[in-house]
Amino acid sequence: MERNTFSYKLKQILMFAGPGTILFFCVVVVPFIYGLYLTFTSWDGVSIEKPLVGFANYAAAFADTAYWVALGRTAIYSIFSVVFINVLAFALAYLVTSGVKGQNFFRAGFFVPNLIGGIVLGYVWKFVFNRAYVAVASAIIGAPATSPLATTGGAMFCLIFVSVWQYAGYMMLIYVAGFMSVSDSLKEAAMIDGCTPSQAMRNVTIPLMRSSFVQCIFLSITRCFVVYDVNLSLTKGEPFNTSVMAAMHVYNTAFTYKQYGMGQAEALILFLVCAIVGVTQVMIGKKGEVEA
Amino acid sequence: MKKSTAKKLLVALLAFVMTFAMAACGGGGDEKTSSGDGITIFNSKMEIQDQFEELAKQYTEETGVPVEVYYSQDTVAAHLATKYASKDPYTINMVDAKDIYTLAKEYGADMSGEAWVEDTDYAISVDDKVLGFPTCIEARGVIYNAEGIKKVTGKDFDPASITTLDDFKACLDSLVKGGMESPTAIMKEDWSLAAHYLQQVYEEREDPEAFIQGLYKGEVDLMKDEKFNALMDTFDVLKQYNYAKSSPIAAERDLSEQGLAEGTIAFMFGGNWDFAEMKKHDYIGGAGMMPVPQNVQDDYTGKLVGGGSKYIYIDGSEYTSEEKQQQAKDFLNWLVSSDAGKAFISDTCGMVSPFKSNDVECSDDLGKAVKTYADAGNLVPNYDYDPDDHYSVLGAEMQKYLADQCTREELAKAIQDYWANVTPVEH
Amino acid sequence: MTQNEKAAAAKKRSHVIMIIILVLLFILFIIPFVMVIINVFKVKTDIVADPLALVGEHGFTLQNFPEAMEKMNFFVVFKNSLIVTVFSTILTILVSAMASFVIVRNGKWKFCTGLFALMVASMVIPFQVLMVPLVSVYGGIFGVLNHRITLILMHTGFSVSMATFMFHGAIHTNIPLELEEAALIDGCSRWQTFWKIVFPLLKPTIATVAIIDAMAFWNDYLLPSLVLTGKELYTIPIATQAFYGTYSSDIGLIMAALLLAMLPILILYLFLQKYIVAGVTAGAVKG
Repeated sequence: MERNTFSYKLKQILMFAGPGTILFFCVVVVPFIYGLYLTFTSWDGVSIEKPLVGFANYAAAFADTAYWVALGRTAIYSIFSVVFINVLAFALAYLVTSGVKGQNFFRAGFFVPNLIGGIVLGYVWKFVFNRAYVAVASAIIGAPATSPLATTGGAMFCLIFVSVWQYAGYMMLIYVAGFMSVSDSLKEAAMIDGCTPSQAMRNVTIPLMRSSFVQCIFLSITRCFVVYDVNLSLTKGEPFNTSVMAAMHVYNTAFTYKQYGMGQAEALILFLVCAIVGVTQVMIGKKGEVEA
Repeated sequence: MKKSTAKKLLVALLAFVMTFAMAACGGGGDEKTSSGDGITIFNSKMEIQDQFEELAKQYTEETGVPVEVYYSQDTVAAHLATKYASKDPYTINMVDAKDIYTLAKEYGADMSGEAWVEDTDYAISVDDKVLGFPTCIEARGVIYNAEGIKKVTGKDFDPASITTLDDFKACLDSLVKGGMESPTAIMKEDWSLAAHYLQQVYEEREDPEAFIQGLYKGEVDLMKDEKFNALMDTFDVLKQYNYAKSSPIAAERDLSEQGLAEGTIAFMFGGNWDFAEMKKHDYIGGAGMMPVPQNVQDDYTGKLVGGGSKYIYIDGSEYTSEEKQQQAKDFLNWLVSSDAGKAFISDTCGMVSPFKSNDVECSDDLGKAVKTYADAGNLVPNYDYDPDDHYSVLGAEMQKYLADQCTREELAKAIQDYWANVTPVEH
Repeated sequence: MTQNEKAAAAKKRSHVIMIIILVLLFILFIIPFVMVIINVFKVKTDIVADPLALVGEHGFTLQNFPEAMEKMNFFVVFKNSLIVTVFSTILTILVSAMASFVIVRNGKWKFCTGLFALMVASMVIPFQVLMVPLVSVYGGIFGVLNHRITLILMHTGFSVSMATFMFHGAIHTNIPLELEEAALIDGCSRWQTFWKIVFPLLKPTIATVAIIDAMAFWNDYLLPSLVLTGKELYTIPIATQAFYGTYSSDIGLIMAALLLAMLPILILYLFLQKYIVAGVTAGAVKG
């Protein structure tokens, strides 16, 4: 078979990847490039004229300290969230594949947060933190308690908490699939060779689940970096704009402050940062993959 | 065995869903689009959405012109940006006053010569063209609950008895003595703190524009400004008696308003739009509005701050046909002159009509109060030319002050720094 | 006690501990739902006064439901959501599985590595960045907004990169190359091999992708609100937004709307959950 000819390759690609690629380009790449063009204009988002201004928006973005503070804050938030999401998700996956009674029921339960959209989640949790928590805590300490959302560190904690809660069940599903793909016979073989269950976990199961880890960590990193919905409904940037994440700052610059070009430029920087982080992580992860 | 049952069930379900969806696709079709017949209205005042839709139905029945009313959860600027980007703008757009100077200046249809223009003092004109139609009058001040106060003090509450801050303090102390431990509430929202409260510092003076220009140039020393200090003194008192004093920036708006409606809180800085929320609780009556009491007595003592609000412009761009623009103009005239329109504004929605010919009584208590001030000429005009990020940046500073995380000097400095560094708004 | 009995007892103990941990976590995970269900039968004033009370001062009420259903035009928007979700999900699965197959099996072709890198990188683009350009191009230039088919294709275009990423992982680790080679030798074309051998083996991943994407499509607000401007095409999230607003809204109605919006997918989810487990196990036996 002439597997190396150009026409063979073209046919294969068109046949399999064609529909997906075309849709992807139309919906993501084309608007992205158009957006790139807009970063060179001083457009306000609605007016007819889009005057070209060269690199002025990039200069403004680099000079915008509030943006860089927000970006740094997003990095801190992402690190904590990613670690906790994956630790919890892995633990959950372990527990619900260990053969306990009703494990399917639990799996279903842990995935439930993914059934509602981010905005609504945020409002429900805000309700829990501001009302339910305060009512309970005040009763316990016998004095009016402060909502965690009203303090600088508390708001960040709540954001991380809700993100972990939101994504852990989702990542758990991927880890569950990973656990299931490691065959019992391999584990049993290791145990017969004298491994304790925890050694078998460390030396057999985890290395074989590497691709699950790569997938989950990548997904959680990319989601955390562009967090917006929960940020908007849970804290709205409060208190004193100390919980404004990068995506929210971008949105505000573009629409609330009506500097569309600058907002788009800041979005591009955000995109580059997380693309670099995400892709590096995947590369490192893929390198050491064990073939089963 | 089990597995195959599950599979069969799934297939059956999918088949069912597909057939249903297909049938619906064929039947439901894409026959209508919003750019078809009739006019579309973008309503940015969410609390009147239901009533507005009813009104549209009524209008269609009367005139045969189809009217659809839309609302968006997204911010107004972002939403309208997407509508213009897709070349499918609304015929009638309800926006804030400052948007008229930008959006309507570019896209708005000229409404000079319309019958309603003569009937109001609040229309907005840009370059000799009437572009902004005022939907209502809104004003800011201190909301009180006279019934709640009476319950504690045993006496009828007379807002006219409170002109200075000292009067106000005496009243608050008597409330505390009577058992109402914390008689005030302060909204923590940035727009309330910066765009409504702090804004008064700019507005309550002879020439707000000159003052703002001074801020831009960095020539103003707020700590030496009488108005700033007077208003912040009052703010301190509001803070001192705040029911949410222990964590003021966690105060939930609907809790504050519930307290105000039920009379467990006596005073809150706000505006007549707050009534829509208040009346959803067990409202005991007695709500009213009074000017923010200050120890400085000047031309602005005894006045609320406010004016026309929720301005409407008609899209005059190439995307909206002449015919539709005319239909939109007809609708606005109908809104002003017909009995149904008048009743809609004043009675159904409880708004204060900016039109002199509207003699339907305003149905909500705060609106009534605002109307009294407006009719007597006791409204200090709004200043509409703040930079777009003003409320957000300075709102955060005001929140810090509210939470005792900065001193008045630091707040004054932050405000001065903000104005000195921001790009001036041209208008 | 014999050695065996001891081991059995220890195992039992660890089992009990695990179940306790699971139950505690489970409660934490469903708290918001409990809050919604508790409050959906109360009037607004009661919800504000005491969100934790089982029955409010004004008593038990069902009034939130008919009102929410009427305001949402529930049956019409339900139908719209169903159509969009079903077709978008099916399309996403088909095109992504196909694309990831050619990408994994031809890892050395520059086009494939390039496409995959591009897709992976694109997953971190915040949607807000593409929002205005997207409507400029498809509304302003092509004028194809306000059709369900546009929304379905856009949903697919946006989710194809993530789905491809997930199928990529699955094909890479779980589908033995030998099986495909055997099929080729038996005279199957690549196309046939894919549909007859590879696609069925992807079942567990298909189930995961289907659930995750269907959920996302069902709940998505921003994109549908940009594309579907006519009221007769509204989906459930756009319809609920009329009383979603940040403040001056009736929280009792919101609760009812939320529950109504979630109920169909919750029921479907409970059903599909069984299928996932079956699928995952079937896929894993191959080892």
